[in-house]
Amino acid sequence: MSSEPHHFTLVITGAPYSTQAPQTALGFARAAVAQGHTIDRVFLYGEGVHLASVLACPPSDETNWPAAWCEFLEAHAIPGIACVASALRRGLVDQAEQDRYELPAHNLARPFTIAGLGEWVESTIQSSRIIYFHGGD
Amino acid sequence: MHTLIVIDCPPYGSWSGRESLDMAFSLAAFDQPVSLLFIGEGVLWLKQGQQADAVAQKSVERNLKAAAIFGIDALLVDNAACRRFGLNEGALIDGTLPVDDLRATMDRFDHVVLPG
Repeated sequence: MSSEPHHFTLVITGAPYSTQAPQTALGFARAAVAQGHTIDRVFLYGEGVHLASVLACPPSDETNWPAAWCEFLEAHAIPGIACVASALRRGLVDQAEQDRYELPAHNLARPFTIAGLGEWVESTIQSSRIIYFHGGD
Repeated sequence: MHTLIVIDCPPYGSWSGRESLDMAFSLAAFDQPVSLLFIGEGVLWLKQGQQADAVAQKSVERNLKAAAIFGIDALLVDNAACRRFGLNEGALIDGTLPVDDLRATMDRFDHVVLPG
């Protein structure tokens, strides 16, 4: 390798099935890990939080992007974080938020967790690169 | 490290600008230097006298007026876009800084984010 390995943070702001952002990000992540780089964390923001829904059921001949991402995160022990403000607005909650807001269900896919923008702020300080994957329009 | 958050969408048509603003306030809350740059339709964020309650939304004007108090270093606005939207300096909220050369402006920052 010609240069020092990077430690990336990936920020995904586009939702699966309405944008290609999660797919492009996963392609990038696989290539980065394969070349010896590290991914510090994956941060879902805005519409990107839909990627962490365990309830997505695409037709069987289409890729299940939430499931594909969860598998990748678990295989490489990479933290996946959904922004709490984005998630609550869009109906993505974990057990703790279900209890707090007395909701009838929770739907956050493992290993994703819910946390604040402070996680992203930490990335801006610690990661060598932050790559943003937007829906684009 | 000084971050520039760029907003290029109008204030009430989508939530992405609002979420960009949250990123800026979040950096400021953690004492990280941050400025905002409004380009294209985003310059409409800075228009005085917004009546957001008419579309059942919260006015972004109040958030921006409090930006300095919360630690946002500068509210930068693309001069050419202001002209396009008929916004002269008197139409903008106080404390905005018009810029002419966007590339030179972005080059001054270590981290430039167009959040969505």
